[in-house]
Amino acid sequence: MTVHRPAAPRPSWRQRARDPGWGLLFVLPMLVLFVIFRYVPSLGAVGMSFTDYRLSGEFTFIGAENYERLFSDDLFVDSLRVTLLYALIYVPLTLVVSLATATMLHHVVRGRGLFRGLLFLPYVTSFVMAGIIWTWIYQSDGLINGLLERVGLGPAPFLTGNQAMVLGSLAVVSVWKSFGYSMLILLAGLKNIPGDVMEAATLDGAGAWGKFRRITLPLLKPVVFFVVVIETIAAFQVFDTIYVMTGGGPARASYGLVYMLYDQGFRFFDFGYAATIGVVLFFVVFLISLVQRYVLDRENT
Amino acid sequence: MTTLTAPPAPTQAGASSGHRRRRRRTGANIWLTVLLVLASVLTVVPFVAVFVLALSPDGAQTIPDQLPDEVTLDNLSAVLSASSFLRWTLNSFVYSIVSVVVILLTAAMAGYAFARKRFPGSNALMWSFLATLMVPIQATLIPMFVLVSRLDGVNTFWGLIVPTLANSQAVFLMRQFIKGLPDDLFDAAKIDGAGEWTVFWRLVLPLTKPVLATLGIFVFLWHWNDFLWPLVIAQTDEMRTLTVGLSTLNAESVARARIMASAAISVIPCLVIFGVLQRYLVNSIATSGLKG
Repeated sequence: MTVHRPAAPRPSWRQRARDPGWGLLFVLPMLVLFVIFRYVPSLGAVGMSFTDYRLSGEFTFIGAENYERLFSDDLFVDSLRVTLLYALIYVPLTLVVSLATATMLHHVVRGRGLFRGLLFLPYVTSFVMAGIIWTWIYQSDGLINGLLERVGLGPAPFLTGNQAMVLGSLAVVSVWKSFGYSMLILLAGLKNIPGDVMEAATLDGAGAWGKFRRITLPLLKPVVFFVVVIETIAAFQVFDTIYVMTGGGPARASYGLVYMLYDQGFRFFDFGYAATIGVVLFFVVFLISLVQRYVLDRENT
Repeated sequence: MTTLTAPPAPTQAGASSGHRRRRRRTGANIWLTVLLVLASVLTVVPFVAVFVLALSPDGAQTIPDQLPDEVTLDNLSAVLSASSFLRWTLNSFVYSIVSVVVILLTAAMAGYAFARKRFPGSNALMWSFLATLMVPIQATLIPMFVLVSRLDGVNTFWGLIVPTLANSQAVFLMRQFIKGLPDDLFDAAKIDGAGEWTVFWRLVLPLTKPVLATLGIFVFLWHWNDFLWPLVIAQTDEMRTLTVGLSTLNAESVARARIMASAAISVIPCLVIFGVLQRYLVNSIATSGLKG
């Protein structure tokens, strides 16, 4: 194909795109997919939450009954608490790990590419794979307890102990699997901090910790905030590791929100009720995004 | 975290203090490297463990400082000769590769239209695509399942694949990239009398190769590692993907060495992609914020 530079003034945008049919035609395949598999199910979730939809496909409208049942269901209140507790452990942990590794990568002189690659490695695996490895790592005859035994400490019940321990153990797996992403986002943020600011601070005799706390962190705040928001949303969607590692147990200690949705939907086939949990999940995630907008807008004014 | 140093930059401080600082910085750099080695080892150990366990006889005592006495390929060959494992692997490849091809094509088309065409409601449409990012996949899991099962899509490839193709991140990424291409190229093609399809096939697709490659890697990884949707839609053993199959092995308390061998094989495509295309992956996260 030969491509010439036009000598005459370029035809205007409108002239070029005067036939609206082509634009629609190019969007059409994706539009059809979105309508059928995104818009319809989104509205469907809301619609189903007002029915007692069952596996057979029969249903009657029951008004807000599902919502009344949900908010008085101890199972739901507990699952919300489990998810919240999990998020409270997971988000700070993943932030600290990704911020620490990003900062070290930013400052290291030699071997940055190699270290970055190794630290990012778990991100390309699945949560299922991560769950299977870490189940063994946590077992009473597994990696960590094997090491503990060497120094005369008894087996720790990582996945069978109390709730904080189980949720903490699950959080560690998710941190291992996905901190690489936040690390790279934070690393890009660190690179954007102008070097002369650091230079000036160094000349003023600021120590490493002082510089980190008084210059790096404030300048990095928007990026840190972005990471906190996406990781919080991820924490509320945790499912795969729970399914593989604990099945919601022991004694519902890790029975999170999405796990409850799956359980109600695909073990009890109570689709109307499960759809209601989905609607609540949407509002929780939506709320987190709204808080993000609010805080970012306030920062900018 | 007291070992942080400033990025290496020429300092204008006096010679003597500069000398002292340089020595301190070298010391700090050693600490930094030691910490990074430690962090990297901790990160990689679980991978090494999978492969060690996969290559050990079942029931062998495998504690970190004690490699197994004998190496065996029995587990790997047992897994590879199990027909369901091969079937799951095939399913995962079909799920991932068909999704990559269709998403790249439809997202490039939609991105091209949003970037270069004006049609009524194009902006509203773009925003309505992006708005679906706010709706977590889990929130619409039940109605999606009901929809697909009413269309008889449970335990079929189309039921597995098609609902996952509506991908707004892909469309948005393509739109941004195509918007950044020089206008002149499109003008010239028009003046040469190229038709709409010719422009798309001969101009847009070749020019977007780098971003298509990046997007392709991500779409592959998203689908290869996907779990919840295949879990509910692939209910028979022969429709399962690798992630779902692995989780059933885990639940059925199959011998540990067999599970680890399966897990090891399942992660190999991801490791290959990572090994070959690491730079692509890393750079695209930093610049476009693509997220799995």
